[in-house]
Amino acid sequence: MAMEITQFLLAAQSADAKVRTEAETNLRQFQEQNMPVFLLSLSVELSNEEKPVESRRLAGIVLKNSLDAKDAIRKEQLVQQWMAIDVSIKSQIKDFLLKTLASSVSEARHTSAQAIAKVASIEIPRKQWPELIGSLLNYMTQQEKPASLKQATLETLGYVCEEISHQDLVQDEVNAVLTAVVQGMNLADHGPEVRLAATKALYNALEFAQTNFENEMERNYIMKVICDTAMSKEVEIRQAAFECLVAIASAYYEVLEPYMQTLFQLTSNAVKGDEETVALQAIEFWSSICDEEIELQEFESPESGDSGPPHSFFIEKALSSLVPLLLETLLKQEEDQDQDDTIWNISMAGGTCLGLVARTVGDAIVPLVMPFVEANIVKPDWRCREAATYAFGSILEGPTVEKLSPLVQAGLEFLLNAMKDVNNHVKDTTAWTLSRIFELLHCPANDFSVISPENLKRVLGVLLEGIKDAPNVAEKVCGAIYYLVQGYEDAGPSSSLLSPYLTDIISCLIATADRTDGGDSKLRSSAYETLNEVVRCSNIAETASIIAQLLPVIMNKLSLTMEIQIVSSDDREKQGDLQASLCGVLQVIIQKLSSTDETKPIILQAADQIMLLFLKVFGCRSSTVHEEAMLAIGALAYATGSQFEKYMPEFYKYLEMGLQNFEEYQVCGITVGVVGDICRALDDKILPYCDGIMGLLLKDLASSELHRAVKPPIFSCFGDIALAIGEHFEKYVPYALPMMQGAAEICAKIETSDDEMMDYGNQLRRSIFEAYSGILQGFKTVKPEAMVPYAQHLLKFIELVSRDSQRDESVTKAAVAVMGDLADALGSNIKVLLKESAFYDEFLGECLQSDDEQLKETAGWTQGMIRRVLVL
Amino acid sequence: MADDSPASHRRDPIKSSVGNVAAQRRRQNAVTVGKERRESLVRAKRLCRVGATGDGDVPVEENDMITDEEVSLLDAQTSSAVGELKSAVAYQGKGAMQKRVNALRELRRLLSKSEFPPVEAALKAGAIPLLVQCLSFGSPDEQLLEAAWCLTNIAAGKPEETKALLPALPLLIAHLGEKSSLPVAEQCAWALGNVSGEGEELRNVLLSQGALPPLARMMLPNKGSTVRTAAWALSNLIKGPDPKAATELIKVDGVLDAILRHLRKADEELATEVAWVVVYLSALSNFATGVLVKSDVLQLLVERLATSNSLQLLIPVLRSLGNLVAGDSHTTSTVLVPGHEITDGVIKVLVKCLKSDHRVLKKEASWVLSNIAAGSIEHKQLIYSSEAVPLLLRLLSTAPFDIRREVAYVLGNLCVAPTAGEGKPNLIEEHLVSLVQRGCLSGFIDLVRSADIEAARLGLQFTELVLRGMPNGDGPKLVEQEDGIDAMERYQFHENEDLRNMANGLVDKYFGEDYGVDE
Repeated sequence: MAMEITQFLLAAQSADAKVRTEAETNLRQFQEQNMPVFLLSLSVELSNEEKPVESRRLAGIVLKNSLDAKDAIRKEQLVQQWMAIDVSIKSQIKDFLLKTLASSVSEARHTSAQAIAKVASIEIPRKQWPELIGSLLNYMTQQEKPASLKQATLETLGYVCEEISHQDLVQDEVNAVLTAVVQGMNLADHGPEVRLAATKALYNALEFAQTNFENEMERNYIMKVICDTAMSKEVEIRQAAFECLVAIASAYYEVLEPYMQTLFQLTSNAVKGDEETVALQAIEFWSSICDEEIELQEFESPESGDSGPPHSFFIEKALSSLVPLLLETLLKQEEDQDQDDTIWNISMAGGTCLGLVARTVGDAIVPLVMPFVEANIVKPDWRCREAATYAFGSILEGPTVEKLSPLVQAGLEFLLNAMKDVNNHVKDTTAWTLSRIFELLHCPANDFSVISPENLKRVLGVLLEGIKDAPNVAEKVCGAIYYLVQGYEDAGPSSSLLSPYLTDIISCLIATADRTDGGDSKLRSSAYETLNEVVRCSNIAETASIIAQLLPVIMNKLSLTMEIQIVSSDDREKQGDLQASLCGVLQVIIQKLSSTDETKPIILQAADQIMLLFLKVFGCRSSTVHEEAMLAIGALAYATGSQFEKYMPEFYKYLEMGLQNFEEYQVCGITVGVVGDICRALDDKILPYCDGIMGLLLKDLASSELHRAVKPPIFSCFGDIALAIGEHFEKYVPYALPMMQGAAEICAKIETSDDEMMDYGNQLRRSIFEAYSGILQGFKTVKPEAMVPYAQHLLKFIELVSRDSQRDESVTKAAVAVMGDLADALGSNIKVLLKESAFYDEFLGECLQSDDEQLKETAGWTQGMIRRVLVL
Repeated sequence: MADDSPASHRRDPIKSSVGNVAAQRRRQNAVTVGKERRESLVRAKRLCRVGATGDGDVPVEENDMITDEEVSLLDAQTSSAVGELKSAVAYQGKGAMQKRVNALRELRRLLSKSEFPPVEAALKAGAIPLLVQCLSFGSPDEQLLEAAWCLTNIAAGKPEETKALLPALPLLIAHLGEKSSLPVAEQCAWALGNVSGEGEELRNVLLSQGALPPLARMMLPNKGSTVRTAAWALSNLIKGPDPKAATELIKVDGVLDAILRHLRKADEELATEVAWVVVYLSALSNFATGVLVKSDVLQLLVERLATSNSLQLLIPVLRSLGNLVAGDSHTTSTVLVPGHEITDGVIKVLVKCLKSDHRVLKKEASWVLSNIAAGSIEHKQLIYSSEAVPLLLRLLSTAPFDIRREVAYVLGNLCVAPTAGEGKPNLIEEHLVSLVQRGCLSGFIDLVRSADIEAARLGLQFTELVLRGMPNGDGPKLVEQEDGIDAMERYQFHENEDLRNMANGLVDKYFGEDYGVDE
């Protein structure tokens, strides 16, 4: 039944593009004509020892890709497609795959293992391949089977565990899998290939081992085998074993106490002397322990004391040995290390871990680190100076302000001088440390800062000088300026301190953004984002004229981007990035200047030109809209109010384009938000565009392709539109309301064990309430009766939400408010419904006792509205 | 999966640059700004108020937004209005009465102006003792009216604010009497209705101070807003949970007649308020129920149900009917006798309710029917041959769970004969066979699967009837066809012993070893 496809698979890898394309077309035709036979043919090819490696490998890959895809919708289609295949064919395919594990060709074994795991991910949860685990274990238990088969089997077991959930297997199966895997790690019985495969498989199987980890004997055994394996001769096996330990630190923190002595020795030796790949995992072990303890501390409340999972204070107990160990790693910098965010080496990992330790233990870390800082910061070797600075910067979060601020006060001048160090690396870390100081210890709004009015001039002088240094240093200096100005936001009189320097700061940042020695756009984008923060946090009364002058400068820069010559897609991307940065600056300037009546006219005067520029930015692309330009237009609409109407005929098509952008869902989401801004700006003047907009929004809601994150904003947007157009919303009611009711029913079914889904559920519920509120308020004076048929469903939904003790405060607010809106708009129409409902007294009572003033106020208002209905 | 080695286990370094985070924050901030603007816009719309009590002389301004400043302004005005009232009350010279009325009217306007009446400010300024003083006997009507009106608005405030009215209650009750003018009495009734709506504690205070008899007497006249307000206040006052007030009310001379009269003749609004009174009478007090069922009230309720389409009215009327049928066996045994005209009337209106689109009506109607179906063989036959059965069968397969459960009670009751004492109920084979043939079994088997113990018991009981009662031993086969065995086997280890025994007993008895051997 299977077809002969070897030649096509080989041709599909040909160097000749024409041959390749033709072969790919042929393969696709086979696939479309008869999927089951095509998949069967692939499995036959893969299992056939007489076929060339190349065709077998591609057969395996195509088979695997026919079962799984990254995109969730495509994946679901593939799953359905597989499930629809005749059982006898599927079982042949599975047999061929299992048979291939015994192949003498390692690539065939490897791809087969992957394909088996993909089939398992579909079939095991549906209980359609119950014999898989048994078959695999059978390969393991037979002494005479070759090591290559065992290695492939272990690899398969690992992949299968990665693909399925531990609930899909019964405990007996879990036990058997774990036994097979752990035995595979045994030094005496197996060669390195098998042991490596076993250790990697264990990593994936750890999640399944919960029951086994509860049992002391089994736990001891597993831990012993891992610790033994962590000292294997082969570096890859050691690394895999340490990866298991990292996973255990997170998953089984609460049972680790008895092993900590051993684990400290093991990780400590690895950090000190092992290969980097192993040492990195050893450090990661301690970072993971910090993660666990920080989380325990964050969730620890004084009242509930001992009810939560136990805090074992591993970091505190190991502190005096752990900190010196980590400090040592800081001295292992690479000579010509790249200065970018993607760098990850032992000193980077060590400093990151040190920062986590500081957050875990607070003040206790300071006396352990300061002697190292003091001893090394003046040494001639740049490594020592950099390590000392890095250590100091790492521990600034965690310890108390009281503990840190004398040290920072004393060291600040030293750090400022170090910006002139001869070594680039030292300057980079110094600038970063300054940014950490400003981020964490500079808060004039709360009357606390290590920067005094007296030394501000000196600090800024150093920063504005340092920003001219090498690109990597300049980027870190941007960060320092960013946090420095952020401190002056809402700082009352202190915010004036910065005003005299504003012009200098802005020109330096623009000069930095214009630099061409940065290599990529990172320095530019850091400079512009820092400029944004400078504008946003400035004292508007004192700096309005400066910002007003900045506006034409940025507008000019944006108009110049239209003239960039575009010859490649690379050029197009560069143009888009630059436009994004500049639109971002315009957005912030528009927002800032339109926030006071005195400065708003500046924006109104320039609005036509600004809008023209944004439309040109849109015009640079054919099929997508520019996210940042869209965001900036939202700000402009708010500033111009009903004047925005004149831009609508031109702008509308881009609005449509944005609402239809399913692939880049963030763009779609931002566009939905802009629709809201425009509704508020135009009020009922948006009416001529509403048919089109509502049509697209409804289509978006109905789409299974669009990311779900956009759906709550769409419901909120219904509310915005209804508020703007009032009774004219009536014609959309028959379409919009069923969507809202359907979404309300979905909310009731949302899985409560999944935090992310819970969060989504809360957003969705709030947005549905916002939609109702907008519609009810919009109809109130003219057409309240149009909503009467929907009142009961809404009340039921509010009741359901009110009974959910997990509900988010913002959901509570929206629920209380919409109940008041219902009573307010529908009046005596819902008197009976209200009399029938018993829940709201208790719910309002709860809200009236809240500490949140706004919630209390809304609840009081709602209570008034309901009483009014009841006495009417 | 396999292509990324797990070594990709790596965290973000502590040392990173600011660009990406900052852009992310800025975009987030832009989105948040939009949300905040939406909130403040809606808030402004909500607080845009007109006179709350429908008072004609409060100026109505469409864009009368109340901002924080205006709230504090309102509070300040209120305090000074109370101050004015104080000096007006103390003043004894020429025009003293007009001065007091003016001061009261000003305070009342302030208290009616917004949805956040400045109650707190009024209380703080000491309004209550002054208002009590203004309610003193012999005061002119205008003054009484304004004072009672102020108190009505204060009573609509927060619970503790309502409680502040305690010193005023005796006088408010006193002004309900016959000597008062109607507007004054009505305003006092309104205030008292608000107070009794607050909770059991205040209701008990009002009852002990004798609020009930005068309110009851206010309900006696034929029409007018006073009657409606009194009925509304009474329905709040007798809400219980103690049944004493309801019993007391029905004993007041003329009340029963008035209820009957209003139900017979009044407009729908008044009838609605009166029907709520009947709801609480029949729900709480056995005595009242006994009195009501011996009157014409059933007939009147049926007529209202037959003629009205107002949901507001239908709900309390249907609820009252249900309470009367469920609460007193006299209703079914002597009033709703098959053959009587009224009995056919009841079935007819219940059918009307079952056909309604409104969920509450369907549910309540099913509940009433289930109580009637629990009556005599003749009752069962009457329902069985009525238009209700096809509707019920449809509801059993399509309605939401709470309605289905009530419907199942009706259908179940139709299939068993009334019994005296213990033992398995006797079957009415004709009903059972016909209902099963018309497909009701799957609905009951669904109930067996339900998590609601009572619904599940009902499902099992009906299954037992089918197993035992279908002719030719067809029962087990039918149950099996509807997956009933599976449904019952779920109870094998159920925590509820009763249900477990029932289900296991049925499975053992009808699907034991011998089951299926004959085939």
